[in-house]
Amino acid sequence: MKQFLLLLKKEQLENIRNYKIYWIPAIFILLGIVEPTTNYFLPQILESSGSLPEGAVFEMPTPTPEQMLAAIMEQFQTIGIAVLILAYMGTIAGERKSGTATLLYVRPLSFKAYFLSKWTTASVISLVSVWLGFLAGYYYTFLFFGEVALIKVLQLIGIYSVWVLFIMALVLVASAIAPNSGFAAAIAFGTYLIIQLIDGLFGLNWTLSPVKIPQYGVEWLTGSPNSSVWGAIGIAILLTLLLFALGSWTAKRNKAKTKV
Amino acid sequence: MDQTTMIMALVPIFLIQLALMIFALVDLVKNPNPNGPKWMWGIIIVVINLIGPILYFVIGRKNY
Repeated sequence: MKQFLLLLKKEQLENIRNYKIYWIPAIFILLGIVEPTTNYFLPQILESSGSLPEGAVFEMPTPTPEQMLAAIMEQFQTIGIAVLILAYMGTIAGERKSGTATLLYVRPLSFKAYFLSKWTTASVISLVSVWLGFLAGYYYTFLFFGEVALIKVLQLIGIYSVWVLFIMALVLVASAIAPNSGFAAAIAFGTYLIIQLIDGLFGLNWTLSPVKIPQYGVEWLTGSPNSSVWGAIGIAILLTLLLFALGSWTAKRNKAKTKV
Repeated sequence: MDQTTMIMALVPIFLIQLALMIFALVDLVKNPNPNGPKWMWGIIIVVINLIGPILYFVIGRKNY
């Protein structure tokens, strides 16, 4: 526990010094802002792009505020997750390469505390970013499209947070396995895409699949909750715990790969 | 769209842009060895809205 707190302090200092604590929230806030704004100004944008014939008329349905929030979540699912993977691909692999790891590994280090401290810091920063992004998106949706009950938005944010925690564990495990940070990003991206693909292809009846968590969030936002949502969240938490074990084990096994 | 909604929509973006720009410029001045010439990054941070400072943080700094 003492070691965990100490390592946590080191991680926090590192994240402040490399400004991740500022630019990751900034990107998510931007993603949250851009989606409602472009949707609102879409007619003007089309008009000013100018390739339309004279007198063309567009009938565009105004999206409901709920649809807007779902679209913001879609953005987070693609660009947001990519940003998180790129930001944290080097947490363990890059440390091995830069030599910070040599300073740590010569000490009697508990790899559980080591892995968990990294995961905690990365998760706190990405969760706060996602929350701020959703709140910014909520503010703009409110301005342009109309009101959604705040409690509904908080539900969506809460459910999506579980998914983010799972993804962060996945990224850190990839970083523990891979020899360098580029490789780690490839593993994390690959797994992220493949689980979505498999779930999309065969997972029609896998109602408890954690990949469906964001989808359940949207369902709850627009209507009533799906009864499988709690089961899916439970499985996601179990998988996250498994990933912790895998991550601390591989981090320990790969410590010989450290460059001196 | 009336004037007040417009202002309420623009103020947060302006504040974010300002904060990012100040953080990036302060870091650039202190940074002894940025990834590329300093004046180029200065121009990028000031001229390109929102994306410029983020670009500097992501690729302009040599983290490792």
